[in-house]
Amino acid sequence: MKSLRFVFLALMSWSLVFLTGCSKDDPKPENIPEAITKATLTFTPTTGDPVVVTATDSDGDGPNVRVLSGPINLAKNMPYTLTITLINELAATTAPEYNVTAEVEEEADEHLFFFAWTNNTFSNPTGNGNIDSRADVVNYNDKDTKNLPLGLSTAWIASGTASSGKFRILLKHQPGLKSATSTSADGESDLDVEFDLAVN
Amino acid sequence: MRLAFLLLILIPFAGWAQLCSFRVAGKVEDERGIPLAGATLVLTKENKGVIADESGKFEFTQLCAGKYEVEIRYVGYQTITTSLKVPFNKPWTIRMESDSTSLNEIVIEDKHTNVALTSTYSSLSGKLLEETMGKSLGESMREIPGVNSIQTGPAIFKPVIHGVHSQRVLILNNGIRQEGQNWGVEHAPEVDQFIASNIIVIKDAAAIKYGADALGGVVLVNPAKLPTEAGIGGQLHTIVASNNGSGVISGFLEGGSKKWPGFGWRTQGTIKKAGDARASNYVLSNTGFEEQNFSLSTAYHKEKSGIDVFYSHFNTSIGILRGTAVETADDLANALERSVPQYTTAFTYDIKQPRQSVQHDLIKINAHLEKGKNEFRLQYGLQSNRRTEYDFRLGALTEIPALGFQLYTHTLDAEWQRTHSSRWQSSWGINALYQTNSKVDGTQTIPFIPNFDHITTGVFLVEKLTLRQWMLELGLRYDVKKYDLAGFDFKNKLYRSSIDFQNASGTVSVKRKLNNTSTFTSSISSAWRPPNMAELYSIGTHQSAASIEYGLLLNEITSEVKPYEKSGVKVEKALKWVVGYKVDRPRFTTEITGYVNYIFDFIYLKPRGVTQGLRGIFPYFRYTQTDASFMGIDFFSNYRINSFWTLTGKASYLRATDETQNDYLVFIPANRVDVGIRYESNSEKKWSWSAESKVRWVANQSRAPQVITPRQIIDALAQGIDLVSQRPGNFDFKAAPDGYALLSLSVGATCKLKNSKCEIRLSADNLTNQSFREYTNRLRYFADDVGRNITLGVHYSF
Repeated sequence: MKSLRFVFLALMSWSLVFLTGCSKDDPKPENIPEAITKATLTFTPTTGDPVVVTATDSDGDGPNVRVLSGPINLAKNMPYTLTITLINELAATTAPEYNVTAEVEEEADEHLFFFAWTNNTFSNPTGNGNIDSRADVVNYNDKDTKNLPLGLSTAWIASGTASSGKFRILLKHQPGLKSATSTSADGESDLDVEFDLAVN
Repeated sequence: MRLAFLLLILIPFAGWAQLCSFRVAGKVEDERGIPLAGATLVLTKENKGVIADESGKFEFTQLCAGKYEVEIRYVGYQTITTSLKVPFNKPWTIRMESDSTSLNEIVIEDKHTNVALTSTYSSLSGKLLEETMGKSLGESMREIPGVNSIQTGPAIFKPVIHGVHSQRVLILNNGIRQEGQNWGVEHAPEVDQFIASNIIVIKDAAAIKYGADALGGVVLVNPAKLPTEAGIGGQLHTIVASNNGSGVISGFLEGGSKKWPGFGWRTQGTIKKAGDARASNYVLSNTGFEEQNFSLSTAYHKEKSGIDVFYSHFNTSIGILRGTAVETADDLANALERSVPQYTTAFTYDIKQPRQSVQHDLIKINAHLEKGKNEFRLQYGLQSNRRTEYDFRLGALTEIPALGFQLYTHTLDAEWQRTHSSRWQSSWGINALYQTNSKVDGTQTIPFIPNFDHITTGVFLVEKLTLRQWMLELGLRYDVKKYDLAGFDFKNKLYRSSIDFQNASGTVSVKRKLNNTSTFTSSISSAWRPPNMAELYSIGTHQSAASIEYGLLLNEITSEVKPYEKSGVKVEKALKWVVGYKVDRPRFTTEITGYVNYIFDFIYLKPRGVTQGLRGIFPYFRYTQTDASFMGIDFFSNYRINSFWTLTGKASYLRATDETQNDYLVFIPANRVDVGIRYESNSEKKWSWSAESKVRWVANQSRAPQVITPRQIIDALAQGIDLVSQRPGNFDFKAAPDGYALLSLSVGATCKLKNSKCEIRLSADNLTNQSFREYTNRLRYFADDVGRNITLGVHYSF
């Protein structure tokens, strides 16, 4: 019976050591910095008001389908600069995680924007974009530290004839894979949205 | 008194009427003097038998004067046939020699493992277990008929018994219910395989005293008994393998004391390190792993009582194939179409993201006491399980775990066993469990499952009756479980809940001894399992899943968390019928098990549709309940052609059906057949040799659900069609791989020295470097399975 008493004593002492308060009482909420909840595409023409469209998914990886504004209405023959901003509204506006654009810029050598559009909606670049073939022309305005394009800023000239079609942007995370020839199939997708586009 | 019961099982009652009163007692031990608990001694002509107890002691009572023929058997040892002249008044010590030709193991009831004699079980021990050394627990268990594994790459194996896995398979590590984050398919049991001296799989859920939730079966991982006499012994194993450049060192030292007979101790440790595995044509990048484990145990045993203390620490870090890290349906479509996985680089020992790190600690204290007709057992266990998983994330977040949980589990088991009479034995018991799960703070992700406190109390009653050639066992159990939890929904908003479950389960089994060498068993048992936290609340993605998972309690439209009571969610209930037939003759053994397991409200992840986020298209899965049936046959046999050559055969056939939808289920092990031939030289000489060749043939899983590729999903969506909702029923992203056949060869040499034994074994798995994919390996979407592997093992014991 002595041994049984020992067991009970040991048991009690271990219980005291390990019974750390109730886990369910007050779990601390986590910041969730990785989601992109809003992507804004700003087409700034050389003259006139910028054209702004947004893609919003307020619940990040939650079940709600993303909402697109648009279409992107561009003027014939007008040159535009497209800038992309990405934010995470699940983080506080003051938190560094809020500004995903800055995170992408910081890791420019691992990220690359690809673009695709309906043929002939732009006079420059021509073609239908580099999602199907990396070699196709996109006019990137920015470069990473290895002198490879990034795509937060790009240059466009709308077609001279009125048309309507689609415009898709795809942000790929390509850690260790990004090169002058890495394609839209390499790496993982951080952003993939397609807008309607009209040239009038 | 326990012994008396065992005695009864093997003795026909007619024998008891005789008026003879001689007693012969003694002890069975191995070459090293270690007691062989569970050895059987049979008076062959009289058909009387006894079983050695945990210290190897046995006792024949009520013998008449005269000459008897005795046969002494123990798994993995050469059977001894000798004569005994009664009266025989001195203690009889029987020394058994290990039998390297023994391929079939029938493990007999021993006190600690406490396998019900009427249950259907298979085991892995002795030589067969030794041959799996260096492999993980889940991988070794594939040698047991009816057991497969669900894999995530070359290092993560979860045992699958009769088609079901995870929380439907209960693992008892040294008598304690193993508790970890076992809701995940990529979460392997945290057990050092080297601790085991035998692994027993109970297939008929009749293990009612371990818990109500073993819908598939119970795995018992049993260490060897500690020495009770003076002297020091030990073992050292070193194993190297060519495929992943792995090295394993494991060993133990044990001893007893002269001063305090009955006192024993053991200290054991294992270190493993492996680099990337190689498929037949390329490196499986980032599939390395490492493991550092140790355990300490000590025990003090007197004749009628004893106490054991055990501590073990398990620590592992495992890489997951880099090419499996996909985000969207588009990424998955690309990955499925590649012939070589993305990010395949040169061989390395480095483990990068995605990876997981797990630490598991166990403290166990166990005491038993015999008093008259009663035996009491009390056992307390404390486990700490810490799991962190790392993925490729934005910026510096890569170094922060994306998933992290700390789980503490206290278990207290008490049992009172009473032998009422020679024919009737009862045991009553109580199992209590208290568990707390907390997220590791700072992951910067919404935790996949909530924090919770969990209390379970279960009571059981088991009655055993013996009537001539029949043995009957009845078991009843009632459990009450309570969960208090708090988690975060997809909006990162706190939810709280409290859920209670209670239910009864039971078992009826019979065993009939057909003759001296064969038995027939049949059992019907019920089991139940409440849905686990992941099944109820999961939201989002987790490692190498490439899909979003939603729990049973999430509203289908808003994804808000619903209260359990109003959700219509039910507990899983299973009814399993198992029949077994065993023949155990000197030259021929065979074991056939047939089963039908019908699981009501079976919970599984069902593909439900695609959702579009800013990152692209995601297939999403919802935990769903259906009725499922699993039926099959396991077969094992070996035939000793002569004293040198043995033929072995093993097969498993399984047919799983989603009864509600009249459909197939995904990841059900395909049917397989193993055949082997083995040569053993005379094991009595100083040097002995062995060689073995085996072929494993695995069929294509023809009972697999329809295939919808991610590319088809994307293309259809471009035309506004949601293919997944349009084609109801279960589906898989890729067709089941072709069947395959693998050849393995091994040669071994054993040298017996005066007080020690040395063994060297060279073996080659997948000798032809076949490229193949295994249906139940989740890496099959991305890459081939492991190619040729040559292993050299050196084992020394003294």
